[in-house]
Amino acid sequence: MSLPTESVTVGTDTPWSELGSLMLPAYAETWAMVGIVMVLVIIFGGIMGLALFNTDRRGLFPHTQSHATLSWIVNMGRSLPFLVLMAAIIPFTKWITGTTIGIWAAVVPMTIAGIPFFARLVQNALNDLPMENLAVGLVTGGSPLQIIGSTQVREALPALASAITLNTISMVEYSAIAGTIGAGGIGYLAVTYGYQRFDMNVMIATILALIVTVQIVQFLGDRIARALARP
Amino acid sequence: MIEIRQLHKHYDTAQGRVQVLKGIDLEVQAGSITAVVGPSGAGKSTLSHCISLLEKPSSGQILVDGKDLSILSGKALRAERRAIGTIFQNSALLRRMTVAENVALPLRNLGVVHHEMEHRVAELLERVGLADRANSYPGELSGGQRQRVGIARALALRPRLLLSDEATSGLDPEATAQILELLASLRTDLGLAIILITHEMDVVRHIADRVAQLDGGRIAEYGELRALVANPESVTGSKLLPLHPDLVPAGYDFALTVAYRGTQIDPSWISKLGSEYGATVALLGGSVEAHQEGTLGRVEIGLSGIGEARAIEVLDGWGLHATAHSQALRTDKINGETRIEVTV
Repeated sequence: MSLPTESVTVGTDTPWSELGSLMLPAYAETWAMVGIVMVLVIIFGGIMGLALFNTDRRGLFPHTQSHATLSWIVNMGRSLPFLVLMAAIIPFTKWITGTTIGIWAAVVPMTIAGIPFFARLVQNALNDLPMENLAVGLVTGGSPLQIIGSTQVREALPALASAITLNTISMVEYSAIAGTIGAGGIGYLAVTYGYQRFDMNVMIATILALIVTVQIVQFLGDRIARALARP
Repeated sequence: MIEIRQLHKHYDTAQGRVQVLKGIDLEVQAGSITAVVGPSGAGKSTLSHCISLLEKPSSGQILVDGKDLSILSGKALRAERRAIGTIFQNSALLRRMTVAENVALPLRNLGVVHHEMEHRVAELLERVGLADRANSYPGELSGGQRQRVGIARALALRPRLLLSDEATSGLDPEATAQILELLASLRTDLGLAIILITHEMDVVRHIADRVAQLDGGRIAEYGELRALVANPESVTGSKLLPLHPDLVPAGYDFALTVAYRGTQIDPSWISKLGSEYGATVALLGGSVEAHQEGTLGRVEIGLSGIGEARAIEVLDGWGLHATAHSQALRTDKINGETRIEVTV
């Protein structure tokens, strides 16, 4: 009895020496995705978080119905697992970007998932500020924009830095999930090489890359938050 | 001058309409301090929010030099509210701003140019004695220092009225004394009208010219501090200088509550009652202390060897307002001892 000679490429590991040329572009792609997404998330999620807080009782324009509607939209955005969301909005993604694969195709679902997440983080950061801040803004003659700037955003900066850190780490994770639909980045590498081709070396390298990335992001985020905090 | 006229405030809740303020009238002259006191739930903080224009009254007016600010909103409100400076409980400074930035906040909101702002901030910090802490953060200051920064911030736009909402609650006695001294000097130097909303009677006694007792959304009692304390029947007066008198010992005929009405009371009046009128006086309780103008005092005495009407007449001649406490107090004979209970 002989072993099957028909060569099924099972577990042909990429040599360690070649991993660099494979990993680096993928790593850059991951950061491109996360970077673009975070810019959009901070802008739109930030505005949405401010709207959530300011339509609530402690906000500038308390309005129960607007707040409930916003809150409902945010909850809806957060109720789907990312994989399901990504698959569900493929037609929308294609309509916006004209494609269903690649970085831009991943940016759309990641942004849509990231915005409500960040909105809640911003709302929580603002809720943790002292109750009197609104009154201080009003009695010192602040306009709504001045109040949002000086007594809300500026005062909450350390908490907002932590929120951005948390959100960035989530987006690194989402980018890996987006790899399954051919988004590029190290997630894509892990799926195509590590999972589909049983390439242990790539698998290990991507895992290490992800662990180190998350550690570094968290470390820097903590540093920034601490630097922004005041005695 | 600040006038509050027929201020009403209600809230509509699921359980129906709740009337919190039911027609408040107050008048605070420039250079005077009016304290608003009252039990919790009396409407103090709602009144405070209405005066600081954070909430609109349901009806009524808040007139600053004849101009009704309560009807304004938006830009007009932001422009006019500078007439009213507010000091909060716990100072409410912004934690990520330095002391100087906190004081500058009202000026910055108004768009004052930079060098003018720096000059004004330095002047204000000098005024409250914190010139050397301009670059500190609120977290590095003591509670009393933070509150002085809060006062500097409230003064930034040269208000006519300073509203202090429980500003000394939570401060230690020494810091409280410093804040009160500062407020008193601001009243005199800047001719500020000051409204002090507080539950601390010690504070009121030390600094207020007039006192308004708020109860159930109405002003139950309102008058000069001295007059309230000098009136033995005033509920507010008895809260300002509370008496916890001892029992009247056996052998005494009656008890009197004596309030210092005049400003120049002979402090030896008790011994004079004995030496000149042959009375035996038992000191049962009392509080006598210096005040801005003369002495404040309420004393409870037991007497024998003199008639009640005669004693009241004699004391009246000395500037002391005495009443037998038949109205406020109940007298029972228990085991030959006269027992007195406060029934207010």
